[in-house]
Amino acid sequence: MHAPADRVWAALNDPAVLVASIPGCERLERAGPDSYRFVISAGVASMQGTYSGDIKLSDQQEPSSFVLTASGAGGPGTVSTSVQIRLIAGPDGTTELSYDADAVVGGMIASVGQRMLVSVGKRLATDFFSSVDDVLSGNGALAGAPATVGEGAPELGTDGTDPVVYLPPARPASAQGQAFGRGVLVGAAAALAGVAVGSLLGRKAR
Amino acid sequence: MSSMFGASVQRVEDDRLLRGHGAYLDDLGGDALAVAFARSPHAHARITDIDVSAALDVPGLVAIYTYEDLPPKLAEPLPLLIPHPSLTHGRTPYPLARTEVNHVGEPVAMVVATDRYLAEDAADLIDISYEPLPPVVGLGNARQADHLVHEDVPGNVAANAVQKHGDTAAEIAAAPHVLEIDLEIERSASTPLEGRGVLASWDPHAKRLRLWTSTQTSTGVRAAVAAKLGLDLADVDVITPDVGGGFGVKIVHPWPEEVLVPWAARLLGQPVKFTEDRREHFIASAHERAQQHHVTVGFDDEGRILGLDVRFWHDNGAYVPYGLIVPIVTSTQLLGPYKARAYRVEFDSLYTNTVLVTPYRGAGRPHGCFVMERTIDAIAAALHLDRTVVRERNFIQPDEMPYDQGLIFQDGRPLIYDSGDYPALLAKLKELVGWDEFAAAKDAAAAQGRRLGIGLACYVEGTGVGPYEGGHVVVETSGKVKVATGLTSQGQGHQTVLAQLVADELGVRLEDVEVVTGDTRRFGYAVGTFASRTAVMSGSAVTLAARKAKEKAIRVAADALEVSPADLVIADGIVQVKGDPDSGIALGTVAVLSNPLRYAFDEAAKAATQFAGGDISRPPVAPDDEPGIEGRAYFSPVRSTFAAGMHAAIVETDPDTAEVKILRYCVVHDCGRLINPQIVEGQIHGGVAQGVGGALYERMAYDESGQLQNASFMDFLMPYVSEVPQRIEIDHLETPSPLNPLGIKGAGEAGVIPGAAVLAAAIEDAEQILIRSMPISPSDLFELRRAHGQEEALS
Repeated sequence: MHAPADRVWAALNDPAVLVASIPGCERLERAGPDSYRFVISAGVASMQGTYSGDIKLSDQQEPSSFVLTASGAGGPGTVSTSVQIRLIAGPDGTTELSYDADAVVGGMIASVGQRMLVSVGKRLATDFFSSVDDVLSGNGALAGAPATVGEGAPELGTDGTDPVVYLPPARPASAQGQAFGRGVLVGAAAALAGVAVGSLLGRKAR
Repeated sequence: MSSMFGASVQRVEDDRLLRGHGAYLDDLGGDALAVAFARSPHAHARITDIDVSAALDVPGLVAIYTYEDLPPKLAEPLPLLIPHPSLTHGRTPYPLARTEVNHVGEPVAMVVATDRYLAEDAADLIDISYEPLPPVVGLGNARQADHLVHEDVPGNVAANAVQKHGDTAAEIAAAPHVLEIDLEIERSASTPLEGRGVLASWDPHAKRLRLWTSTQTSTGVRAAVAAKLGLDLADVDVITPDVGGGFGVKIVHPWPEEVLVPWAARLLGQPVKFTEDRREHFIASAHERAQQHHVTVGFDDEGRILGLDVRFWHDNGAYVPYGLIVPIVTSTQLLGPYKARAYRVEFDSLYTNTVLVTPYRGAGRPHGCFVMERTIDAIAAALHLDRTVVRERNFIQPDEMPYDQGLIFQDGRPLIYDSGDYPALLAKLKELVGWDEFAAAKDAAAAQGRRLGIGLACYVEGTGVGPYEGGHVVVETSGKVKVATGLTSQGQGHQTVLAQLVADELGVRLEDVEVVTGDTRRFGYAVGTFASRTAVMSGSAVTLAARKAKEKAIRVAADALEVSPADLVIADGIVQVKGDPDSGIALGTVAVLSNPLRYAFDEAAKAATQFAGGDISRPPVAPDDEPGIEGRAYFSPVRSTFAAGMHAAIVETDPDTAEVKILRYCVVHDCGRLINPQIVEGQIHGGVAQGVGGALYERMAYDESGQLQNASFMDFLMPYVSEVPQRIEIDHLETPSPLNPLGIKGAGEAGVIPGAAVLAAAIEDAEQILIRSMPISPSDLFELRRAHGQEEALS
């Protein structure tokens, strides 16, 4: 990532960045401290659908690591995942990001073959992290304004200070066209995580 | 017997099939998801990585499966269908390759998409990394065993087997004459016009699977699929639709696709279909034929064989799912109509990194026939005897039947010929081809600069292999007769022949009989269609079933007519008093009466309702009876029945181009009593065409790295009608079999068996050059001529 670890950390913990960077994310809603409800529209071929669920950030060791857990469900099935994210300072003000994910999938999604799931997950994770990196390096949709969000002003919370619903910025038409790159079946959790599906999971899902 | 048996009835299948109303596998399941496979491009390699990411962009992609996705039972190697004590190192493939591929074409990844085009696009984009291993191609390399196909199979030897009777070594040592001959046969394949294919549909509510597959065994596939998917037999229907040829390759089961497609259909909850394309059939189904043989034969001054020792090497390809059937058939059927005082045969079945080998029409017999007939011709040449004389002197005589060859056949039973008259067959063949007059014709042609040659070859074919088949016959209230047997049809005319037998037995018109094969919903107990067994096995079974239905019909009619059952016969579908055609009651009415009813559904049914009369002191259905006019029966013979035949061919070879032209092709054939001579002759015609292909055209052109270079109909030469003799002259002998109620023997493979042997003999006669290897192309013959010329120049 083209930013120091503390900035990367901040971006990954910023719902405004998340909503703009998660492929297919339509909405994030704060549900509590470090906890959000999401709606992600994603899919491929016969497994398209809208997924909703929860994301929670925990075990934060700022600025070096945290755990993201998510679970979602939609027409094509269910996904739940746990992702350990680690940040290590790199040269020239960069940060090396590594992640380790486990996931359990169910329903139709579980029927498509684990290599396909893994590939989709990795691609979505790559998309996600490079979107975040774009934001950090000033090329992204949120350049210069990482704390404000979306097409209009964010909706405000009841105390009038904290935005509770985050909407993504309008996406360029060309990006919308990249059906698979932007929104693929595995949806929310895989998108966030980059699912490393073990062979055990492949069997369990059945 | 009566009118239909022995009549050349027109095939009832043909009206439908010739008008394009057949329904083959790919005609079904138009809305099903389609499957394509990513297959190994290497003959031998370790899989190091599979990256599917590039395939994800293909629209319509539904799923990609690799070995890791398979549930435990599917993750095991596919079954070894026919185990044998000698098969000490049997290896079978996984449905999808696990860590290693052993032939080009082995499936590695399975793609499911909304149509076949997209599935193939996605399959092409799957990036599979391989670490190539040294391939073992051809029997020479397999025998040398510098490299191994399977690391844990020393010497590449899957099996070593010996059979013998008598003291062959001693007989050869004491024989006045001894010859040693090396003989080789190349690879070919069944190549049915329709490849393999499978369609599966899972009912999530009933939790039942329905499977259509282009197979030679519905019940075999059902058992295998049920076992692999953890289902009970009753929850799986397997239906064999019209099949565009089998010729052996479709008796293998389950093919990887036959278990993977239903597994995916259940997983995805949608119908899924796989249709094999031509290249896939060449590289991912099965081949046959490749064997090398070394013969040592000792014989007396009259040409009688005293000791025959045959050592041979069988190329079984990468895996042996069908066991040792091909080499066992070679080693036993090699003896043909002859008796050797002592015989010893030993074979190695060897792995190579090529497509697996399973029975192809003839199944080991063409090789055995080639070896034996070439040997007899060599004996004749050595003793300057006529080739037919040496054969006559070695024949088993009719009064020696049944004749025990002292070996164990492919069905695990003693090799005992049940009946046959080989001297009579040879006399017929000599007469048909004009054997004794040929020398003059040859000389006359030679005077014009033409090279003619004649050859003959004899074979015995074990047919009607067990363990059993069954049949079910039910008479509808319309008078129509529905017949079902479990084995499958691939175009042989079973619907016609089985209908002939039932029509005769039951006394109904042929057009009132409808036969269904290969549908487990209609008949669930069966073995399959192979080894020329349908007429013998299912023919006998449906005859016995019809007999039961007839007895029931006569009993019910006798009751209604108040006559003795002994006085009744059935003719033209009418149960009638003998000699009084007007006395009758239609079989359909008898079917109505046999089923006591509460509800009348039509006028006829009123007769069976509860106020229509009858003995009110008895239950409507007696305790030992059941409703309906039906019969179910099974036929299980003690062992195979042995058909025989002899072919003769006259060829002309071109002095310049070395092309071989078949001028005459004559067949005498004994398959016991003929049910339908036209269908038998059709079987012979097709077999001869395949025999000609195997002798003159077909080979599998593997290069040294295991790539099949002629995996298409552009490059693999099959005989067209222009290459098959315009007229195949046929004569029959009918020696009934004592082993079944109809006295019949199988006819399905007869035409193909002596093809290589008879054409090698005829070419040898024309060229006066030893022919030791088949097939033979014009180039091969040209090279033989050149080598022969050099030899003569040296001597």
